[in-house]
Amino acid sequence: MRIRNAPSRFHALQLFLALVCGVNVAWAQPNADMPPAAAREPASEPRNPDHQEIEAALAADEKTAAEAGATPAPQKPAPAGGGSLNPDLSFIADFAAAYFSDDEHLQTGAHDPSETGFNLQQLELAVGSSVDPYFRFDANLVFALSGVEIEEAYGTTLNLPLGLQARAGQFLTRFGRLNSTHPHAWNFVDQPFALGRIFGGEGNRGLGIEVSWLTPLPWYVEVVVSSTRADGEGTMRSFFGADDLGVESFDDLLYVTAIKQFFPLSEDLSFLFGVSGAFGPNASGRDNRTDVYGTDLYLKYKPITTASFNVVSLQSEWFYRRRQLPGELLHDVSGYAEVFWRFAQRWGTAARYEYGSPALDSSGAVFVGDPLDSEWTESRHRISSNLTFWPSEFSRLRLQGSRDMPGFRSGIWAAFLALELVTGAHGAHAF
Amino acid sequence: MKRVLSVLVALCAWLSLAPAAQALTVVATTPDLAAISKAVGREHVKVTALALHTQDPHFVDPRPHLALDLARADLLLVTGADLEVGWLATLQVGSRNGAIQPGAPGFLDCSSLVELLERPSGKVDRAQGDVHPAGNPHYMLDPRAVERVAVGIAKRMATLDPRQKNAYLENARAFLAELRKAREVWEKRLASARGAEIVTYHKSLGYLSDWLGLKVVETIEPRPGIPPNPRHVAHVVGVAREHKVRVILQESWYPTTTSRLIAKKVGATLVQMPGMPNFPAGQSYVAFMSEIVKRLDDAL
Repeated sequence: MRIRNAPSRFHALQLFLALVCGVNVAWAQPNADMPPAAAREPASEPRNPDHQEIEAALAADEKTAAEAGATPAPQKPAPAGGGSLNPDLSFIADFAAAYFSDDEHLQTGAHDPSETGFNLQQLELAVGSSVDPYFRFDANLVFALSGVEIEEAYGTTLNLPLGLQARAGQFLTRFGRLNSTHPHAWNFVDQPFALGRIFGGEGNRGLGIEVSWLTPLPWYVEVVVSSTRADGEGTMRSFFGADDLGVESFDDLLYVTAIKQFFPLSEDLSFLFGVSGAFGPNASGRDNRTDVYGTDLYLKYKPITTASFNVVSLQSEWFYRRRQLPGELLHDVSGYAEVFWRFAQRWGTAARYEYGSPALDSSGAVFVGDPLDSEWTESRHRISSNLTFWPSEFSRLRLQGSRDMPGFRSGIWAAFLALELVTGAHGAHAF
Repeated sequence: MKRVLSVLVALCAWLSLAPAAQALTVVATTPDLAAISKAVGREHVKVTALALHTQDPHFVDPRPHLALDLARADLLLVTGADLEVGWLATLQVGSRNGAIQPGAPGFLDCSSLVELLERPSGKVDRAQGDVHPAGNPHYMLDPRAVERVAVGIAKRMATLDPRQKNAYLENARAFLAELRKAREVWEKRLASARGAEIVTYHKSLGYLSDWLGLKVVETIEPRPGIPPNPRHVAHVVGVAREHKVRVILQESWYPTTTSRLIAKKVGATLVQMPGMPNFPAGQSYVAFMSEIVKRLDDAL
């Protein structure tokens, strides 16, 4: 009986809450003269004889201000961006001189330095502009020596109600922290191998739509849900990748969900915490699926209450993946943790540890013959550290060294000297 | 689980539909604009500043919770001229608030209200440092420009909240009167300093010097945003000696080691001025400027 009762109580509660909300709406309606409503219809001015007088006086004040030598009001305000309607363009170039102790290295990022000698990691053209009062458009085109690639091209809504926002087009999904960013936002020259292992060298991206919700809770909570194609370069490693099995049902799309929370612990200390999930079909057979669960945290100390250039940050992401293969369920864990310390206006240093477990089968034994990484039968560790010099806000030089220790083969040393140049419009940084 | 979820969703729905407070919610990027808008809006507005008064407004971290302030804003005031270019857009888009996007009535770029100094003519190039192509954005240190800003803000508030139009315009008048009276006192106090030659850290005190008749003979940064190097420091020392500079003036957020060294070498006083009013503590714009004038007067 109790069990049967539960749903009706549940409905009663829903009804009650709906009523409360309804009352709220009804209560808000007659209050149409409150500022937000008024803001939408600024035409209704009160007919008060005083205000004309005040306005005239203000105008006179302004005039005397001008006469008193105050800077005159501009006749025509200067249009921003030099008066052009062109979108904001910026070019970002990443070059690296690299050394690998073994030519058969295990770098997984598509924009990592890939061979001993000189490397063009990428030449990125970032384009961004408002489309109209409803949309903003952003694109990232990446030029490599081999050709041009549309990394991202998407529209973002600007004023959906209730804290909602939608993106549509080709975009990097917001799984975790690094996946949705481009190399110029990274502390390291190369991508953590976890991302390359789970999502591929380009990270997880695809054509689709995303809806995110900034909840009205008192602290920052953002909920993100996206649906993208399960095939293509951005899904190589866990989903359809190059073997597109086609879309026959909603199950043949890739879904990414994330919840991101931010806590300003003090003026100087910030804490960002997220959990993410990616769910989609894999290429090992019809109805075989891959689930990826992730958690990310970012702790940043940047004193703004005193004059200082110091920044200390800790960033870590961990991924747990389950893959269905014909007759088998594999799971593995990968992740990284990095600390970054900017100790002077122009100088910073960072260290990173990465880990990747071998794929285990449902009994917990190492699985031999994984179609993705047949070689990967032991734990892999990699440590990297680097030193960064910023000549200005728009360029940086990094010297990075790393030691890769895959248990399944001999270790690899790598060293990079990377130069990054940013020109064009000054982009706004994300946190 | 389902029940908890439903309660949470209903709670959120209730929170988002709850009637907003009567006051106009104003968010200013910098504390100086916040102080002006509080003076103009008084009890009819709720004002938040995104940047802290001790923080260099060029380099504010777009900490995500700032987007919450923007999400609830009816009016966003920005200094403009690219001062906030490195951080504001992220927050503005993230706020999902159509009312404060560029072009909407709830967005006011205050640099459109004043005539900017140092607008580069000819080609703008980053080889000149982190230059602002639209002109120098530090106009809030000139009380004459602030008059225009206050009137512009009052007018915009009146458009958004016509019921309080009289109050906004009346408050703006009162603020202008107070500011003018104070300015007379400040100008009198620093009259003897007219023509004094000073060194500043960043190229940010052009408006202040223009108003007070000070002459900035050199900046400690060789180019905007580029930290000083020994050769440039030697050059600054030379110039400062030649011009008999008595004051090195800089905002509190800039480093002091080099400035102290130069001050010692040329026998000048290092004056650290607040760059922004302490808005969270309720400091008004007039009190903030009085503080700057006092520190300058003590040193000059």
